[in-house]
Amino acid sequence: MRSNRLGCLSGTGIVAALVTALVIAGYAYARGGLLFNPGPLSMHGDRTLSGVASHAEIGGDCKACHVAPWDPATMADRCTACHTEIAGQMRDIATVHGTLFHNDPSLGCRHCHPEHRGPDAALTVMDGAEFPHEVVGFSLNAHQRTAAGGPFQCDDCHERDITTFAPQTCDTCHRQMNAPFMTAHTLSFGATCLDCHDGVDRFGKHFDHNLLSFELMGKHTGLACVQCHVNARGPGDFAVTLQDCYACHHNDEPHEGRFGLDCSQCHTADGWTPATFDHNLAAFKLEGKHVDVACESCHINRQYKGTPMDCVACHQRNDAHSGQYGTDCVACHNPSNWEDADFDHNRSNFPLTGAHTGVACESCHSSGQFAGLSTDCASCHSDPVFHAGMFGLNCESCHTTDNWFAAYNGPHPGIADEGGRGVNHGGASCRDCHTQTLQAATCTACHEGNPGSEGGGEGHD
Amino acid sequence: MLRGNGELWLAFLAMVLMTGVYALIMLLTREIPPAGELFGHGMGIVGFILMLMTETLYSLRKRSRSVRWGRMSAWLQFHIFTGLVGPYMVLLHTSWKFNGIAGVTTLFTVIIVVSGFIGRYIFTRIPRTLDGLEIEGALSQEALKQTRRLLALWHTIHIPIGMALFISAFVHIGAALYYATFLK
Repeated sequence: MRSNRLGCLSGTGIVAALVTALVIAGYAYARGGLLFNPGPLSMHGDRTLSGVASHAEIGGDCKACHVAPWDPATMADRCTACHTEIAGQMRDIATVHGTLFHNDPSLGCRHCHPEHRGPDAALTVMDGAEFPHEVVGFSLNAHQRTAAGGPFQCDDCHERDITTFAPQTCDTCHRQMNAPFMTAHTLSFGATCLDCHDGVDRFGKHFDHNLLSFELMGKHTGLACVQCHVNARGPGDFAVTLQDCYACHHNDEPHEGRFGLDCSQCHTADGWTPATFDHNLAAFKLEGKHVDVACESCHINRQYKGTPMDCVACHQRNDAHSGQYGTDCVACHNPSNWEDADFDHNRSNFPLTGAHTGVACESCHSSGQFAGLSTDCASCHSDPVFHAGMFGLNCESCHTTDNWFAAYNGPHPGIADEGGRGVNHGGASCRDCHTQTLQAATCTACHEGNPGSEGGGEGHD
Repeated sequence: MLRGNGELWLAFLAMVLMTGVYALIMLLTREIPPAGELFGHGMGIVGFILMLMTETLYSLRKRSRSVRWGRMSAWLQFHIFTGLVGPYMVLLHTSWKFNGIAGVTTLFTVIIVVSGFIGRYIFTRIPRTLDGLEIEGALSQEALKQTRRLLALWHTIHIPIGMALFISAFVHIGAALYYATFLK
């Protein structure tokens, strides 16, 4: 009779089930948990921890890592029992592990470090965690989407081991995106991208130079970075780029440094011209007619710095005095008008006093000679015939500029001194007796017909 | 009498569909769907349920005398469909790793499918009604006897393989729950 039992409940079925169960149990007893091993453990390892140099050496001792579901401990507890330094890092937010567990306390070691993937498989994959990539020095801020628009995967940048990064990886991808840019960029700033770029995209399309201490204005806005940041190989190099105009423009500078290094005194970033130079900020103020003079009139050959400021440096050819008054033109002249000279003779070595003040310049300065004239009286006043050479040329011994015809009070031969007051002789002047020269005298000019009178007759000086 | 191979085509279509999804996930994630993640795990669970249905539903219906739900031919078609699609899903669940008990279970699964194919063709050598009843006289007595012997032999082999498969599958599931699913 045909049996109506289910096949699984047949004798062969039950026997097969029992045999299978026994074989499994026997194998498990003999080889531990290897029967349930989903794949070989990693052979990575550079040191011995808890007696093993790699997970592979743990073999079939599953409970070394795995905990029973009802056990209050976790697998991470088993991990950190051996990896004690990681346990320390997990408590330190400054470390990768600390940040990971701070961000997500539910994370287990196995979420990033899967096992049973083969002896050579990478021990770190980040699929299961929101990895704070910036903790390792490179933010993924600018790597949210690939050029194709898809999300980034770890192996887009990392090879088998995500803890390593090949330096040429950036170049390979970014060159595909924009080869001319990458060629120029790497020529300018080198090929070690991570020296400057930390993934935050500070220097990308959102970069605003005007937020820095050196605002880009005028013609600076269209420049390539490398034109100012020459040989920059890191943020530090960019930061120390000199901001004074001359640092970049020393080759453009036609003044050869003679105006100093602060180009902005005259120029703006909109262009070298027009320039606005305030000459009055210089040591030589422009006044009077100097205001309208072309720069080149004084600054020959564009020689600006060190231009002599004394008048004769420019006005020597204008000197009507042929240098006789020296080089200090401003002593008499002003910048507004040569003709409006204001000469004070009293500042010279021959102050004008007395009768000299009313004398015409040419009376003394004949032939246009002003400087170097003798201040001796005799240079203008010749010894008169009247003196008959008796007194020499020391005029000021008798004369002053106020009184040329001073009375002679000295001794007078032939005529007695009258009471110590010198020659008076009745109030006569010299010329009353000495009608021609002092060597000849006549009494008769006064005493003619009066020979008995005192002092009459021929006398002698 | 069974007409055509509709269940085979349907199973083939389902497998093509799942292969497409599998390939799409591979393309997006750029990895073979792992056995322990959503798609791979789902494939394993659903595939195993289909295999359980394959193992039990047709047999139960065949042995049901009081309640006759559906025709036997339809149940056989469903049995064949689940017997193909279920193991295929389990195969996709493996992520092409055949270590330990999981690998043994996969091996048993492949064997049972091959065995099922053989059994199906032995079974269909005997003309039957849509209710699965043998049609008398369609085969010579000798041929019928020989086919029945062959079918009995096949059962003797197929059922122990199936039992071994399910025992190893349950152990695999238990171990996966213990070592992975409930892992803290």
